[in-house]
Amino acid sequence: MEHIGAAANPSRLGSRLQNILDHWIKRRARTIPPLTIGYRQIFILPTGFGWMLGLLMFGMLMGSLNFNNNLGLLTTFIVAGLALNSMLMAYHNLRGIQVRRCSAAPVFAGESACINITFINTDERSRPALELVHGKQCKSFTLDASASGEIGIMILTSHRGWLTPSRLRLQTSHPIGLFEGWTWFWPEQPILVWPRPARHPPPLPQSAGQQQGSREHREPEGENFYSLRAWRSGDPLHRIAWKASQRHQLLLSREFRAEQAEHLTLDLSRTPGRDLEERISNLTAWLLMAEREGLRSTLRLGGVEIGPAGGQAHAYRCLRALAEL
Amino acid sequence: MIRIDRATTHPPLTPVLLTIAAFLVAALPHLAAMPLLVSLSILLILAWRVMAAWYQWAPIPGFLRVLITLGLIVLVVVAFGGFWGRRIATALLCLMLAAKMMEMYRPRDLRMVASVCFFLIASQFLFNERLLYLGYLVIGCWIATLALTSIHQIQPTRYGSNDHSRKQPPLLRESARGALVLLALALPVALTLFVLFPRLAQPIWGFPDQAMDGRTGLSETMSPGSIAELFLDDSPAFRVEFEGQPPPPAQRYWRGPVLWSFDGATWRPAYFSDTATREPVPVNQSSIRYRVQLEPHERRWLLALDYPVQSNMPESRITEDYQLVSRRPITTLSQYDVISTPDFTVSPTLESAQRMIALNLPPDRNPRTREHGAFLRAQYPDDQELINAVLRWFREEEFFYSLSSAPLGRHGADEFLFDLRTGYCEYYASAFAILMRAAGIPARVVTGYQGGFWNTAGQYLLVRQADAHAWNEVWLEGRGWVRVDPTAAVAPSRIQQGSRSVGASGRFMIDTDWIRNLRNRYDRVQHLWDRWVLGFDADRQRRLLNRLGLPDMGATEIGLLMISALVLISLPLAFMLLHERSSRAGSEAQRAWQRALTRLRRRGFAKSPAETPLEFAERVSKDLDAKIPTFPQLAGMYTEVHYGPQDHQLAASFVNLVKRFRPVMNRIRQM
Repeated sequence: MEHIGAAANPSRLGSRLQNILDHWIKRRARTIPPLTIGYRQIFILPTGFGWMLGLLMFGMLMGSLNFNNNLGLLTTFIVAGLALNSMLMAYHNLRGIQVRRCSAAPVFAGESACINITFINTDERSRPALELVHGKQCKSFTLDASASGEIGIMILTSHRGWLTPSRLRLQTSHPIGLFEGWTWFWPEQPILVWPRPARHPPPLPQSAGQQQGSREHREPEGENFYSLRAWRSGDPLHRIAWKASQRHQLLLSREFRAEQAEHLTLDLSRTPGRDLEERISNLTAWLLMAEREGLRSTLRLGGVEIGPAGGQAHAYRCLRALAEL
Repeated sequence: MIRIDRATTHPPLTPVLLTIAAFLVAALPHLAAMPLLVSLSILLILAWRVMAAWYQWAPIPGFLRVLITLGLIVLVVVAFGGFWGRRIATALLCLMLAAKMMEMYRPRDLRMVASVCFFLIASQFLFNERLLYLGYLVIGCWIATLALTSIHQIQPTRYGSNDHSRKQPPLLRESARGALVLLALALPVALTLFVLFPRLAQPIWGFPDQAMDGRTGLSETMSPGSIAELFLDDSPAFRVEFEGQPPPPAQRYWRGPVLWSFDGATWRPAYFSDTATREPVPVNQSSIRYRVQLEPHERRWLLALDYPVQSNMPESRITEDYQLVSRRPITTLSQYDVISTPDFTVSPTLESAQRMIALNLPPDRNPRTREHGAFLRAQYPDDQELINAVLRWFREEEFFYSLSSAPLGRHGADEFLFDLRTGYCEYYASAFAILMRAAGIPARVVTGYQGGFWNTAGQYLLVRQADAHAWNEVWLEGRGWVRVDPTAAVAPSRIQQGSRSVGASGRFMIDTDWIRNLRNRYDRVQHLWDRWVLGFDADRQRRLLNRLGLPDMGATEIGLLMISALVLISLPLAFMLLHERSSRAGSEAQRAWQRALTRLRRRGFAKSPAETPLEFAERVSKDLDAKIPTFPQLAGMYTEVHYGPQDHQLAASFVNLVKRFRPVMNRIRQM
């Protein structure tokens, strides 16, 4: 136990520092797209190569100064001027870039979510050597003058729920890699991660009579108004739509139908599975199957009931409810 | 050593070739000065690297690289004879870079080589700072910068798995122009630093004496016939600007090392030559004031006219022989002011120890000269008459002045005076001194420079290495040390018209007046360069600041001045790069509104062009702290001012309110 505690401590300290840093960055300026990168969002530090060149410059400076070697000094100062300008140019390369729409479509746990970020360059100059960094991923790109582009960053998901990605970093060390300017921002929203659908789910619960769900067959005559049709002999008088008939100069009668033929009730508490996650997993698979087959369904999670409804929108609502469970 | 797998991917061709080119340009003068074998092997490595890049050859295995590097280090040490100096240091640096190129496969290796090129360029100036090298500096820096930009354009996508942007690399011509622009933008900063960076009045550390491996010019000893090449060297030794008129040619004797002891072959300074003089030279009406710009010769002596009174060169002094010497070797162009008094009686009395040295001759050498000396002594009891007789002898007999002369044997003076009778100043000075000593007159040899070319347009005297000269001083009762120049007796034109008058023909392929004129013009530019650029030191910096109306300042104050000037200089550049577009158009209220929008934009709230002020205010209000004045307030007021009936009072209060507007992020929402 102690061992684990000791191991956990530094990382907790690290994450605390990380939190303080994140908090500070967020307080400085807007960090959530849409944003235009300004001086409050840009940070600049020398790169490793920049430090090396600094050391070299120091050597050159001391040597030239000691022997009052003026051309040597001039060389040193030209390098210093290059370094100073490259700092300004790194800043210049970032400033004014607009970040729009930084979000990812929901994915199933275990898949990679793709955060798509749109960068817009409204200026008349191109922005070379930009890099978008997240974790170990790094994408290099160039934004041409008055152009925009979309960059995707893949994030591997593991658990269902809302995934809050760590900050993204747009950086550049233009023009010669001495200074690196960067800006941090966060995606607009956390990424919704749906539960992982079971690979081999049990068959869909069959019909009403069965335990896990109900499949109701009703007469075509139901309570819900379905459509108008030409009157056929035998239609009861109260079914005739008088007003419509007059408009169309044709006797029309109203037709009523019952609800959709197939209706599923998917109840978490009646889903097979060893634990909650496995049951959620099976339920997800069922939902997807029902959606594929065009079945209407009701999802029952504890006290919450979604549906009955069908189609993609319903499936998304259910998946989200499952993810948040 | 960095391990590189066999499967190493080759970086793109352009950056590799440019890095090699940058190295080649930066190392060119170094390579030219190295032993041929060393520079050839470095070039060989470069050639291999170019071929490897071109044909995608596999890298050399690690152990072989180490072996090659070690072998080359041994070669360098052997080729330089184990003599530790700056040349061997730069040769080793070049070698290391060449070795690094064998494993140059990652952008960071390329960067490393390209950036050390700047160091290589700067180190060349330890050897030579002539105007010509300004071109080397510019081109070298340009190609190194070009290589760096080109390396930076290597993107990991090109051979990594990410294939997001497979853009064509920019054209070489575009990159070359871009690098030139980078360099040009660096110039204002570089020049400001150059002028204002606090200089050291005195070096912190010096070169060890044995590190002086680039010595030119006079040497500390003299053996006739050994350094005839010096008289063919047309490069400048020093330049002089006089206060008032320059002295006549016959007075232009620039005093260098004074040589006393003669061992039969070589003249050397005396043991007391380095001690400070006990009898300072006074200043009188005939004193000459002048400023010398001495080219680095890596010796300690400074050249001055006879007889130097004082100089403002730091750590310099005047020796017992009235030679001006510095405590440290002259490794960069040095400027100093000197006052000299030509008519001064040197040592009216000669100490017995000095007299002994000044009369000493090796007994087993030059019997005929000694005999002739004794014969002259018997003939002319008076010293002055004896000297005149010898000079007359030189003038009237068949003595010739020539730079091409046979080397002398064991009895050098005998051979020269009685057989050969052809030679240049060293032969005459040496033989004359031996003859004088044989006749019992204390004599010594003085080396230095004589004459110089007066550049009328530039109003300065140019003394070349070819003007090197040797003459004698004899000690006469009551008159002290008196200068006697036997060469003048043989070739008076040498003294009157300078070294160019004798033996100068055929030195250059084309030696017309026009070419000579061109060379003089070039030398004038070189002189200005030396004076204003190379000669810019702590003293000149102080005087420049004084001229700008600033008082004398210490290093700290100059440093502060430099920083503020630097800020001032980089402001236009920073403004050019960083300034946010702002329009001066519109009414005062409109501009105030734009300012408010700018403040919001800096916080990341950009108003889209389609939004009205009120819509925008509504959108951002929940992200902002409700601090007076709130943004919706401002927006409402602006709408009223801008779209409503004209109301100057309202407009003025709006502008005032904007001044107090500080957008603050709403913390609750952000957290």
